[in-house]
Amino acid sequence: MSKNKAYIAPDGKRPLTARQTFVYAVLILWAAISLFPVYWMLTFSLKNNAEIFGENVIGLPKYWVWENYSRALHTGDMPRYFLNSVIVAVSTILITLTASVMATYAMTRLQWKGSKTMNKFFMLGLTIPIHASIVPLYTTLSRLKMLNSYWALIIPYSAFSLAMGILICIGFMGDIPYDLDEAAFIDGCGVWGIFLRIIAPLMTPAVATVGIYTFLQCWNELMFANVFISKDALKTLPVGVQALSGQYTTDWGPIGAALSLATIPTLIVYVFLSKRIQDSFIAGAVKG
Amino acid sequence: MKKILALALALTMLCAASLALAEPITLQLWSIATESDSSHQAFVDAIAAYEAEHPDIKIEHNATENEAYKTKIKAAMSSGEDLPDIFFTWGMGFLGEFVDAGRVVCLDDYYPAYADELPEAMTVNVRYDNKMFGVPYTMSLVTLYANMDLLAQVGYDHIPATYDEMIACCDALKAAGIIPFGVSGKEAWCLSEYVEPLVIKSVGGDKLRDMYNGVASWNDEGVIKAIAAFQDMVTKEYFDPSAPALGNDEVKNNFIAGKYAFYQNGSWNNKDIGEQAKFAVQAGTFPVLNPDVTLYQMIGGPNNTLAVTESCEHKAEAIDAAFFLARYFSDADYKSGANLPCWAADPKAEVGPLIVSAADMAAKADNMVLFGDNFLSADAANTYLDYIVQAYAMDITPEEYAEGLDADLK
Amino acid sequence: MKRPFSYKLNIFLFLLPALILFIGVLIAPIILSGYYSLTEWNGLKTPVFIGLANYRELFTSRSINIMRALKNAMLLALLSTCIQLPFALWLALKLSKHVKGERAYLSIYFMPVLISTVVIGQLWLKIYNPDYGVLNLCLRGMGLDNLAQIWLGNKKTALWAAFVPILWQYVGYHMLLMYAGIKGVPPELNEAAMLDGCTESQVNRYIIIPYIKPILRVSVIFAVTGSLKSFDLIYVLTNGGPNHATEVPSTLMINLLFLRNRYGMGSTIAVMLIVLCFAFAILINMIFKEEKGR
Repeated sequence: MSKNKAYIAPDGKRPLTARQTFVYAVLILWAAISLFPVYWMLTFSLKNNAEIFGENVIGLPKYWVWENYSRALHTGDMPRYFLNSVIVAVSTILITLTASVMATYAMTRLQWKGSKTMNKFFMLGLTIPIHASIVPLYTTLSRLKMLNSYWALIIPYSAFSLAMGILICIGFMGDIPYDLDEAAFIDGCGVWGIFLRIIAPLMTPAVATVGIYTFLQCWNELMFANVFISKDALKTLPVGVQALSGQYTTDWGPIGAALSLATIPTLIVYVFLSKRIQDSFIAGAVKG
Repeated sequence: MKKILALALALTMLCAASLALAEPITLQLWSIATESDSSHQAFVDAIAAYEAEHPDIKIEHNATENEAYKTKIKAAMSSGEDLPDIFFTWGMGFLGEFVDAGRVVCLDDYYPAYADELPEAMTVNVRYDNKMFGVPYTMSLVTLYANMDLLAQVGYDHIPATYDEMIACCDALKAAGIIPFGVSGKEAWCLSEYVEPLVIKSVGGDKLRDMYNGVASWNDEGVIKAIAAFQDMVTKEYFDPSAPALGNDEVKNNFIAGKYAFYQNGSWNNKDIGEQAKFAVQAGTFPVLNPDVTLYQMIGGPNNTLAVTESCEHKAEAIDAAFFLARYFSDADYKSGANLPCWAADPKAEVGPLIVSAADMAAKADNMVLFGDNFLSADAANTYLDYIVQAYAMDITPEEYAEGLDADLK
Repeated sequence: MKRPFSYKLNIFLFLLPALILFIGVLIAPIILSGYYSLTEWNGLKTPVFIGLANYRELFTSRSINIMRALKNAMLLALLSTCIQLPFALWLALKLSKHVKGERAYLSIYFMPVLISTVVIGQLWLKIYNPDYGVLNLCLRGMGLDNLAQIWLGNKKTALWAAFVPILWQYVGYHMLLMYAGIKGVPPELNEAAMLDGCTESQVNRYIIIPYIKPILRVSVIFAVTGSLKSFDLIYVLTNGGPNHATEVPSTLMINLLFLRNRYGMGSTIAVMLIVLCFAFAILINMIFKEEKGR
């Protein structure tokens, strides 16, 4: 029993053992390492070059140079890029979600011979490198006159998020008791009725998980966004930020401001939704 | 005056013609003149001027950063869809591949109208089988910018005129704790701005051109000598030790901030350096390595070019606009001190001292050979730049450089 | 029991959106890439069929040097599985044991995953800056001037310097996956083991880790295939430089496609990447299956 107690110890009441102190030290150190680049970005976005380049590298700014932000906002069109990224991300999430929930339903709740093989086929998508298809995609998109439209990004992004979407949905759908389908069937529901009335509403927890995965895929993507979009009005955030960084190579303040502008909204959403996001991860990944 | 009248008449007729169509035309223009580029304002002004003269034509300008632009224009050219009407390009190799693929309009029928203002000699780098495919607007020369304040500290009041004097000067600078040369080791083309002048001043322009054209062998004593001189500069640490991590913009800003004695790069830096440097600055050219070669064997030439795509819907308008814009840029870049004009310049224009020395060098030039990475086709250009990078990293000997280029550039 | 509904048409309709996306965007381009890889094509003229010449050149050409790119990618995969994943697992194990502020740690560790790769790349570029970067300033501040480096410009350090941000960014991702798995371990199992007098490390080793093996498998597959296809951060940090020291297959491919106009050869690398990713995914699955069988 005594060993047992030692194991449960970290409830805070008992003094920490040396080992626990070590664990906490590593945890705190890693937290600092994880946070540092963001902290540094936020502080140097408000400093002038003299502070950034020597006088005050790590501390909070002495003079708050808000001008950096107005300069970053006025070079290029950051709000526009941000909006474009949101439009692309939201559409991609919707498409991925619809397609993967439907496909998962067909592969797990409907009975047919090839369902296992079909599932394996979709899982191929997890390993295909996104950049490997850039040339054929480009030529095809241009033939379809779809370059320089949101679709040029939404369609490839959706396709590349699909495999993960299906993987997650299979986990969630397995949780829904099969008795529900049977009961609905006996009540006279068809396949579509069961899908729309029973399965789809119960899949709402999957939305956050698939959403986050998909979001991560498309929010950061640089190469497709760079090649498929040439109109300024349609550029996404990574392209805009990359271009801006190329323009202010020695003036770090405005770069920091641009990087912060690209990051702060994500962080705010994360602060409010972190528990939700993580909970859904927990629900999804265990089954995955 | 007559010429202007004739031109005005021609333009009014064109206006009238386009008015008669009564259908607004939009021309897409792609360039690298982003907001931070020194010629951005010239683009904005030129487009405004053109649109004022042609109320029926709108020019939509789309600027992309240099490296991203190369990817973008190549991708568009390869698909042949969604192409701009007018596009910025470099001469020779870069434009050549598009011409080869039949994507670019031949301008032979249109050029004579402008021949008085745009000398034929300026069109050499946009001619393929002697047919003209682009409208050049500015000419660039590799220029050796010198911080005369720093040179004065080690007792020089001029840019060293001989190779030995240059070496002595660099040694003196090093001894005084001053970095002689700024270069970006991250961007291979910046290294070539140092290597190519050494090569041309060792083998001469005619032979270098033959080497690019595959007529003469790269495995040449002069090339070996030039690379040995370059590697000598590297081993003696004449270049900024931070160079491998610096981009060209950072290096340029360091030079402007007074960190280096010399900065050798294209003459398109004239404006930024002339306006921003707070020290006495002179523009010159690197001394010769081989006493048989004349000093004014220059790397560079007419380079910045506008071209019109074959798939363009309103060809006549686009070609007219391309010539108009090119002439405007040529003039604007010259007057603002950004670069040398390809078009006949206003002799009375007041320009900065750097552009005067550049114009002087261009006038004295016995020979001009375009930048290697512009001259060669994309694949060869990158192989070539790889060799320069390896020479800079001291991974290969001068002999291996010469033999390697000879074997790989065929 | 035989399930009563199996209408072929409906099955097809349910699969249709996913199939269209998947075949249109993933499968068809792979087949096209396969064809392009057998051609000499500069992207402008019509492709000329040249058989396997590209494959031969890919593995023999000194100027392309695919082996260096592959070696770099494999090194990243190795570092990822041997350092990043064990560390993530350690974090997940510790955090799942009711550490004070569990949620806060989780959120902080996961945060780098959410930040755009371009932003991360730009930030690390600044951290590594030889003159004003935090890293060198700290080293100099501690009197370790001789350790200060041109991190991304020096052939010897560039590769490691480019890998650190990649490994750093995704620790939180793997940690969260594993944490989720550990939280899914039935508490009865833990309790039973503890009643039997198991120590913490024994519980971890004999109960938790075997239980979350499926998740570890997913993590390993992601880490390895992710390393093979890594692109964004290296592209922003070094673009394969200095002198190709940090080249990985994807940067090489983009370089061949868009700098050298060698669409045929670029497609050859694309095909090779796909084959490698599949091969490794299958291999890892086999390894995990074998373990299960034992």
